[in-house]
Amino acid sequence: MLLYTATSKQRNLLGRRNYLYLTLVMAITDFKIKYDNSALGYLWSLLKPLLMFGTLYLVFSVFVRWDVENYKIYLLLGIILWNFLAEVTLNSMVLLEGKASILKKVYFPRWIIVIASSLTSLLTLLLNMVVFFILFILSGVHFRTSVILLAVYLAELYILVVGLALLLCALYPKFRDIHHIWEVFVQLGFWVTPIIYPITIVPEKYHKLIFLNPVARIIQGSRDAVIGSGGDFLCLKNHIIIIAAAVCLFVVGWFTYNKMSRSFAEDL
Amino acid sequence: MIELEDVNKVFRLPHQKKTTLRQRFVSVFRKSTYEKLYALRDVSLKVKEGEFLGIIGKNGSGKSTLLKLIAKVLEPTSGRIAVNGNVAPFLELGVGFQGDLTVKDNIYLYGALLGMSRQEIEQKYDWIIDFSGLERFVDAKLKNLSSGMQVRLGFSITVGVESSILLVDEVLAVGDIDFQEKCYESFKSFKKNGRTILFVSHDLTAVEQFCDRVVLLGNGQIKNIGLAPSISDIYKQETATQKQSIKQSKE
Repeated sequence: MLLYTATSKQRNLLGRRNYLYLTLVMAITDFKIKYDNSALGYLWSLLKPLLMFGTLYLVFSVFVRWDVENYKIYLLLGIILWNFLAEVTLNSMVLLEGKASILKKVYFPRWIIVIASSLTSLLTLLLNMVVFFILFILSGVHFRTSVILLAVYLAELYILVVGLALLLCALYPKFRDIHHIWEVFVQLGFWVTPIIYPITIVPEKYHKLIFLNPVARIIQGSRDAVIGSGGDFLCLKNHIIIIAAAVCLFVVGWFTYNKMSRSFAEDL
Repeated sequence: MIELEDVNKVFRLPHQKKTTLRQRFVSVFRKSTYEKLYALRDVSLKVKEGEFLGIIGKNGSGKSTLLKLIAKVLEPTSGRIAVNGNVAPFLELGVGFQGDLTVKDNIYLYGALLGMSRQEIEQKYDWIIDFSGLERFVDAKLKNLSSGMQVRLGFSITVGVESSILLVDEVLAVGDIDFQEKCYESFKSFKKNGRTILFVSHDLTAVEQFCDRVVLLGNGQIKNIGLAPSISDIYKQETATQKQSIKQSKE
């Protein structure tokens, strides 16, 4: 018996099955639509971070020189992780408009939209990591066992990013400025996070400020895991801070989204 | 079984939509004005299992809103809705298709949206293609199909779900005669299989032919409910008298 009233909250997750299959079909659909009509198709998602890496590497290893060991690896990893965040969060807002016709005609749990699109980006991230490890092996950097910890950081990043995406997506239909605001935030975040520069060039007193940003901790931690870039971000304390931030964001995002998504069909 | 108890649906139509920051800042100190549109007012309705219920009424009388509420696409402003069984909605001439996908991909996507599993879709796939009559266009992009073909495909998938409740909003208006006949045939078999159907249409002949009971909506309220022929006669008379009074006032 599927029962709901205007006030009760127990209206989803009842009566319908196959949400996993629906999520997968939606993810595949997003994927197909995204690379439809382009000659290189999926290759673009691998090329884009590489081209960005090439540009930045040219500027910051030829024109300006940082004193960073294995700068190539350092830079590429930062770019890949940040790109994932930018892609998922910015996509999440455009997403609803593309799905408006579906939202107005069928009921299904609305979270599937965001999760499905995040899975598409996750696949891209994982393929990017394959390219990354090929370059990593080619560059002959000493292999550490702590590389396994990278998987933990990726999982933490995923939860955090999905939480953000849910929150942004929830606010978008009623408050469209958020898309522009977030675009600026992503730009700003790219520069206040140690992605292209080493943290050592930042005056000590700002370090605390920079590492208020959990994404900076994730990026720094993953580098420590892969190339041991000297920081102490592999410690348990760092993980606890990141996980706390990620879970908080996810919970806030999830509840906001479920509340706001009830009127998506009217607002879009 | 579908049960509605004192269901109200109010749409707020702002006089000017404020979606940018500046408009919001400006309007913070002003009371925002909006038109309250009562799409449905105190609607109570019981639909039994296996019933074929017709819903008629003028444009804007709340027919589509009623179906959307039952389909859970919209939430009621107040009141209670209980639905027992899985619902396959076919709302507002067409479905949420993705134009850039092929017909085949759309069948899988839409089937999944309606709650089917992969195996169920695979089992039903040939039937859906056959019913829609789109064998030749399986690999064509949906956006290149005519609107009538798209509606046919949508209806075929919706019917293929084998849900216990089917919501149909104005499907027959777009299909050609062949397809309309197919639809009528499938309606007959639904009735036999004891599926519940809510059927919104302006085609009174079809309503009279298939529906057990008919609901007449007007201004968001149930004006009349009863057996098919009598209610549609009331509706016909109503429109006729209105036409006359308009004529008279013109003269």
